[in-house]
Amino acid sequence: MQVIENLKVKEKLYTEKLENGLTVMIIPKKGMQKKYIIWGTNYGSNESSFIVPGETEVTTVPDGVAHFLEHKMFEQENGKNSLDVLTEIGVNANAYTTNDHTAYLYECTDHFFEALDEFMDYVQHPYFTDENVEKEKGIIGQEIMMYDDYPDWKVYLNALQAMYHKFPVRLDTVGTIETISKIDKDILYKCYNTFYNPSNIAMVICGDFNPEEILQEVKKRLLDTKANGEIKRIYPEEPEKIVKEKVTQKMEVSRPLYTIGIKDKPIDTCQGNDKEEIVKKHIAIEILLQLLLGESSNLYKTLYNDGTISASPSMDYEFSRGYAHILISGQSNEPERVYQTLKEQIKEMKENGINEEDFTRIRKTLYGNYIKEYNDVTDIARMFLADYFKGINSFDYIEQIMTVNSKYAHQVLNEVFDENKMVLSIIAM
Amino acid sequence: MEYQVKEIKKGINLHLIHNDKFKTNLVSVFLTTQLTRENVTKNAIIPAILRRGSKNMPTQEDISRELEEMYGASFNCGIDKRGDNQVLKFYMESINDAFLPEGEEKILYKTIEKLLDIIFNPIVENNGFKEEYLEQEKNNIKQAIEGKIDNKARYAIDRCIEEMYKNYPFALYKYGYIEDLESLDRIELYKYYQELLKNCKIDIFVSGIIEDNVYDTVCKSNEIQKLKDREPKYEKMTLEIIPKNNEQVVQESMDVTQGKLILGLNVALDNQDMQYDALIYNSILGGSANSKLFQNVREKASLAYVASSSYLKAKNNIFINCGIEIENYEKALKIVKEQLEQMKQGEFTDNDIEVAKKGMIDAVQTIDDEQDTEIMYFFGQEFCDNKLDIEQYINRIQKVTKEAVLEIAKKVQIDTIYFLKN
Repeated sequence: MQVIENLKVKEKLYTEKLENGLTVMIIPKKGMQKKYIIWGTNYGSNESSFIVPGETEVTTVPDGVAHFLEHKMFEQENGKNSLDVLTEIGVNANAYTTNDHTAYLYECTDHFFEALDEFMDYVQHPYFTDENVEKEKGIIGQEIMMYDDYPDWKVYLNALQAMYHKFPVRLDTVGTIETISKIDKDILYKCYNTFYNPSNIAMVICGDFNPEEILQEVKKRLLDTKANGEIKRIYPEEPEKIVKEKVTQKMEVSRPLYTIGIKDKPIDTCQGNDKEEIVKKHIAIEILLQLLLGESSNLYKTLYNDGTISASPSMDYEFSRGYAHILISGQSNEPERVYQTLKEQIKEMKENGINEEDFTRIRKTLYGNYIKEYNDVTDIARMFLADYFKGINSFDYIEQIMTVNSKYAHQVLNEVFDENKMVLSIIAM
Repeated sequence: MEYQVKEIKKGINLHLIHNDKFKTNLVSVFLTTQLTRENVTKNAIIPAILRRGSKNMPTQEDISRELEEMYGASFNCGIDKRGDNQVLKFYMESINDAFLPEGEEKILYKTIEKLLDIIFNPIVENNGFKEEYLEQEKNNIKQAIEGKIDNKARYAIDRCIEEMYKNYPFALYKYGYIEDLESLDRIELYKYYQELLKNCKIDIFVSGIIEDNVYDTVCKSNEIQKLKDREPKYEKMTLEIIPKNNEQVVQESMDVTQGKLILGLNVALDNQDMQYDALIYNSILGGSANSKLFQNVREKASLAYVASSSYLKAKNNIFINCGIEIENYEKALKIVKEQLEQMKQGEFTDNDIEVAKKGMIDAVQTIDDEQDTEIMYFFGQEFCDNKLDIEQYINRIQKVTKEAVLEIAKKVQIDTIYFLKN
């Protein structure tokens, strides 16, 4: 196993790529009661067109298959549901689907190895029937309707749709009632066989473990599957420009919700792009967002004092295969004012440069925030998995942060914060 | 982990939770007072005003800058309802000195100082809070109250509680009432704040690497020195079940896609010790993926994505929560009631109990893995007659029997059925 130690946060990562292509990452945490294991396939709601290794024809499937698969994986041929079996063993199991990956996990204090049998067994044994696929449509239908009532989800999705013409990140992860109605067991098997090959999967384990021992336990439970060839993923060509600047939807909310988006050029993380550059750029963007609208910024003070906002918005840089964007979300009586003043602030910072003292202070804050991410085994494991699929080792953020200077940040500001690529999504009564 | 409680003054406790496995230190201060219609809005606005500025850090910008310099120490405050009490909560978290870059000065003591400064040294102008801060925060609290409707699932549970506890303190909304805000006056409110500090229960928690000086830093601070002994005015947990609404049905309409069905249940316990049996009862009813509600409402009938229940220890209520198609109201309600009936008939196995215990024990064992969870656990024990540590808690769970759970099932009654539709 390869061992990577980070001296700043005082943690170690043990990692190995097995013969069948599976990557295993172990982060031991001494003294923690909770043990956490997660494995994910590099396959999310964005992959609905692809060429199966060995084939030449393009396969296109309805939207929402990755999430549908996630629900159906638990069903077993012996009539049992693995979620029930794991709960019965005494562990807390779950699964989730994002734009770029699908993950299965459990956490527990006791019974870890008992649960590992079932956990590794069910993900390696799909069992889909016409009947069990049909039944799931009712449950997922209710999940879709539940999200329909979440204004914060809608305002986010609308912002993506204002930015993206074709790229599937603009779609709801779960699909729609209409697309899921077209899903059948053959589609599920085809996607499973393509994307659930070990070479497309990574596993992260975090807790009070001996890395060598746990790796052996994992190996014992793996089926003898050969690594697949490369899956060719096909995405629609996405123009650089946005679809439209503003979008508003009516919903019953007390105060308008807004999401401001800034569309960025996609970073192709899978094609050996310079990983160091990606991490540095991400850090610079996080610092810039705090400088522009963080709690100590002039703009925040102005907007807070005149009652436009009452809390600092959440600010993120999201990126994966084929897309990258900044999102700024919050609640305000005057989203338009937040949007316009932010634009002005960006312009001003581009012209006048970045205040060195502010920059150093915010960088300190970010350093502390990166350290804080290593408190909880769940957070650690999920972070390593999500970053892995982006081609990043999570430690790199702590390693790189002090190399990011204000000059570089200013360059990123000029490149990424383009006023022609900004959108404003609003949900209001 | 080592836990110690020290009474600094009567009614003021310092709780020290020593644990060296975290990257952070967490300092919390809780001010607990009775929940009353008269004071609920005043209590809600006080943390909002305090976080605007102190004598030493007069503006929010000053506070933010100070915290940013401390490698992103974070300050947080809020309001909670705990039984018939209202709790004003203040937190400050900072990274452990061990993870600071070399040559940096220690920040734990600074963290304690800054937090106490914000809570106990507000900026005062002409015998009152700053007019500007009060007026702005009135507006923010108004928005928080109006914001109740934004999360429909949470809203439905809050509304169910309001209907159950009509005319009782527990029905009060933790952020208070818009009609009270207008008349709040900066001088009166400041007087009220001073009264509050004289009479409330004060709990100070420090979790992380506790060095010897921590005790002194807190006790010898000017802020704590100024406080006096008190007979704190707050409510301990009681078993008195107040609502008697016998299956009242409340339906409300809003612009929703999915219907939210909430059942508020009363659990009439004979003694506090039975709460552990009630926890297991709830777990079998709707606490996990194996539970009756999840299996029957979701997996078998395919009626819902969310079908669960939760036990509110402070008031001995169980709330059942299902998100369903509006037209399936009757169908879902029937299945839910069947599950309650099955529990009464003892239609659950020893294995169900074992599974519930395992799940519960697992959850309890991880309390020590999260600093805020651990703080809330020990704070919660402050309201119980018999304080249990985590090990005792686990032992008690292990003792739950089928008979005991059946006993709970017989004591469960539907009080209110609330349905949010369109």
